[in-house]
Amino acid sequence: MNSKVPFGRQMRETHFGFAPSFTPFNHGSYGATPLLVLRRQKEIQKLELERPDPFIIYDLPNLIDESRKAVAPLLGASVDEVVLVPNASTGVNIVLRNLKFEEKDVIVHFSTIYDACERAIDSVSALTPLTARSIPLQYPIEDDEIVQRLRDMVQKVGDEGLNVKIAMFDTVLTFPGVPMPWEALTETCKELGVLSLVDGAHGIGHVDLKQLGSISPDFFVSNCHKWLYVPRGCAVFYVPIRNQHLIRSSLPTSYRYREDESPDSNGKSRFVMLFEFVATMDHSSYCCVPAAIEFREIICGGEDEIIRYCLDLAAKGGQRVAEILGTKVMANKSGSLARCCFSTVMLPLVLKDGKDPVSKGEFHTKDVSKIKSWLNTTAFKEFDTYLQTDSHAGAMWVRLSAQIYLELGDYDWVGSKLKELCERLVDQGLD
Amino acid sequence: MPAPLNMPIHLKAGEVSSDVSNKYKRVPFGKEMLKQFSFDPEYRNVNHGSYGSFPKPISELRRHYLDECEKSPDPFIRYDFGSILDENRAAVAKLVDAPLHTVVFVPNATTGINVVLRNLQWNENGKDEILYFNTIYGACGKTVSYTSEYSRGLVQGREITLDYPISDEALIEQFSSTIQASIDAGKNPRIAIFDTISSLPGVRMPFEALTAVCASSGVLSLIDGAHGIGHIPLSLSTLNPDFFVSNLHKWLFVPRGCALFYVPLRNQHLIRTSLPTSHYFEPKQLSLGAPNPFAPTTKSGFVMQFESNGTIDNSPYLTVAEAIRWRREACGGEEAIHDYCLDLSRKGATLIASILNTHILDNPQHTLTNCHLSNILLPVSTKPYQDFHVIPEEHAHLVGEWIHTTMIKDHKTFVAIFYFQEKWWGRLSAQIYLEIEDYEWAGNVLKGLCERVGRLEFLGEEVPRGDAAP
Repeated sequence: MNSKVPFGRQMRETHFGFAPSFTPFNHGSYGATPLLVLRRQKEIQKLELERPDPFIIYDLPNLIDESRKAVAPLLGASVDEVVLVPNASTGVNIVLRNLKFEEKDVIVHFSTIYDACERAIDSVSALTPLTARSIPLQYPIEDDEIVQRLRDMVQKVGDEGLNVKIAMFDTVLTFPGVPMPWEALTETCKELGVLSLVDGAHGIGHVDLKQLGSISPDFFVSNCHKWLYVPRGCAVFYVPIRNQHLIRSSLPTSYRYREDESPDSNGKSRFVMLFEFVATMDHSSYCCVPAAIEFREIICGGEDEIIRYCLDLAAKGGQRVAEILGTKVMANKSGSLARCCFSTVMLPLVLKDGKDPVSKGEFHTKDVSKIKSWLNTTAFKEFDTYLQTDSHAGAMWVRLSAQIYLELGDYDWVGSKLKELCERLVDQGLD
Repeated sequence: MPAPLNMPIHLKAGEVSSDVSNKYKRVPFGKEMLKQFSFDPEYRNVNHGSYGSFPKPISELRRHYLDECEKSPDPFIRYDFGSILDENRAAVAKLVDAPLHTVVFVPNATTGINVVLRNLQWNENGKDEILYFNTIYGACGKTVSYTSEYSRGLVQGREITLDYPISDEALIEQFSSTIQASIDAGKNPRIAIFDTISSLPGVRMPFEALTAVCASSGVLSLIDGAHGIGHIPLSLSTLNPDFFVSNLHKWLFVPRGCALFYVPLRNQHLIRTSLPTSHYFEPKQLSLGAPNPFAPTTKSGFVMQFESNGTIDNSPYLTVAEAIRWRREACGGEEAIHDYCLDLSRKGATLIASILNTHILDNPQHTLTNCHLSNILLPVSTKPYQDFHVIPEEHAHLVGEWIHTTMIKDHKTFVAIFYFQEKWWGRLSAQIYLEIEDYEWAGNVLKGLCERVGRLEFLGEEVPRGDAAP
């Protein structure tokens, strides 16, 4: 099937396996895999069933190498700097659990950090001398301000006699769904002598990362199973050659762990061999990277086409939903928050804080998880869709993921459903 | 083609389905059973022990769950997965006689071992030791080394070198005296790692007795039961180890990427974090930071951390109950499987040993071969010995790999070849889809390959890369 199918409804029906009544507006959480790529996954799984040892021992390393070769150009990186891991969380944990933290070492991150990453920091802080400092961020905010706050925090921590060893930040935040100025943050880290750990969970296939290799953050991880259409359980882990000696072990540790740095007898580096086979699992998703990229090139017309469509849809669609709800899209003055496939739209719900009186039809911030829960379950039960909502800066928002299988009409639809849900919530309250 | 699992999704953990009729017909072991598996018709799988395998109904169920997830990802992952997972945890908990709240899934035994060793907080006095045998699985041995490195030497490993064949009594005695030696050296033997059945060689360990020695000595027992569930009968409540891991994707016919991780309640406080760390990790100081985006739950922090810790393909976890059912109905149950495989392993190994004119790795009490793995000496040596094929010592390191690649190319099979105690061995795995004829065939394959090794054929060819540890 090589002819181009237009994006939108036709793309959904031809190339994706969603249930007919389901409206997928939350690609950002778990991604979705095109049928053609699933077919490739089934082929791989079949090969593994037919001759387990030969496939796993001899064919799998070659297939993984093919995947690494296919994905490295999307990062503008060399193949030697790129390995595969199951997900971004694992990549982050690999870095945090390999670095040897000393007394006074500090990790700096933003308050918008993905919560499992913050938990990982908590966990490592419990076992090592590392402490963490969080930089509060409230959106909307300008990119310059974000970078300045990083500088200020590094300065402040330094003034306290502590050492900012590493800073962690996203390419695109989880919530609100907005891009971060990761390039400028990386440059700033380099200038300040701070290691940069970039959580690009929403990265590859979502924003253009071809400059990554030249900007060269110290560590970078990105899920291929989110925006690159690879089946679940595959992320790319980038470590520039200069830092590979810092990554002593995979997670879990494998039999490939060794003391010395010399290349393997086959010429591959210790770092690359460390991640070639970590432990027994289903590696079929790793093997599907070339098929996913091929799908994007041939069926979709290429990365630029996909991202252009999604950016445009996110912007127009988000605006539509905001109009229907009578609210607004999360935006800053420079417009930089719009440069991703998410649109984060405010919900028409009033949230009160502290001891402020709560009138009928209004809610208290302590009810946020109940609001989220009600919206989630009701939207799913009644409309067969999943809405990613949360509170931020004193308001409730919904994060919508634009994708090639959606079109503007879908945003009209979700806008009207959101309106109805919010009206019911205001009318009935939470009880 | 069997229908996908039609267990109602709301079935609570521990509840028995009202459907008591058999879904699967009983299939005779051997060539008939082979049809239930998806092996290439030209390929003979005699190395089940490395990567396991699973029958078609399980393959299809797994595929079904992957497809369900694609139909509506968020609802499946957020709403359905948790309860289906619990049904499967319940099924395996019952099989190993462990309380549900002590049992979680991890992708593989190696991960389970890493979770334990990376969570333990080593004594600042630097006297802690990890005891392990020289036959420890490669990755686990490396984990011990890495743990020592990462802790900056705060904990050290102490290796116990076993000289096979060895009686259970002697092994246990050696273990006990190593604990004593550690203490005598002013150290603290904190934890011991040992297998139920070791990998290379594939021999049964007296793990029950070792666990008891640990308990009476105040040493934590970390049992690597990679070869465990579905291979040997297990009752974790009787065994009562401190930590236990077992791959379900080896001997329980579950797809790759599924292992059981058992931690009794008394030790759960020692396991602070899963790997990677989960949303459900509870910091000692409540951080004011990013909240857990998932709905609140009544399940323990221990259980939840392992339910949700990074997006992976966890469809194998959801096929465990059905695999147990298939084994019960199509195979006649765990005991029937075990009896067949044990008998086949012993008879088959004896046959191969006679074809090769060598012997099986076993002790006089035959406790080493009380499992489905067998290790037969290959008639290859670097020194003249009986009628063995003699090869130059400087090229010895090429033999194993050459045999591996050649047996795939020329015979479409794979036997794990390993160098142990200065000899070469072949390890076979008995299974319900094999018969004694398969062992005879493998024996003759090995005989021919050893003859070719003797003719130094392994020196002439370029050996392709591929050295993943089985």
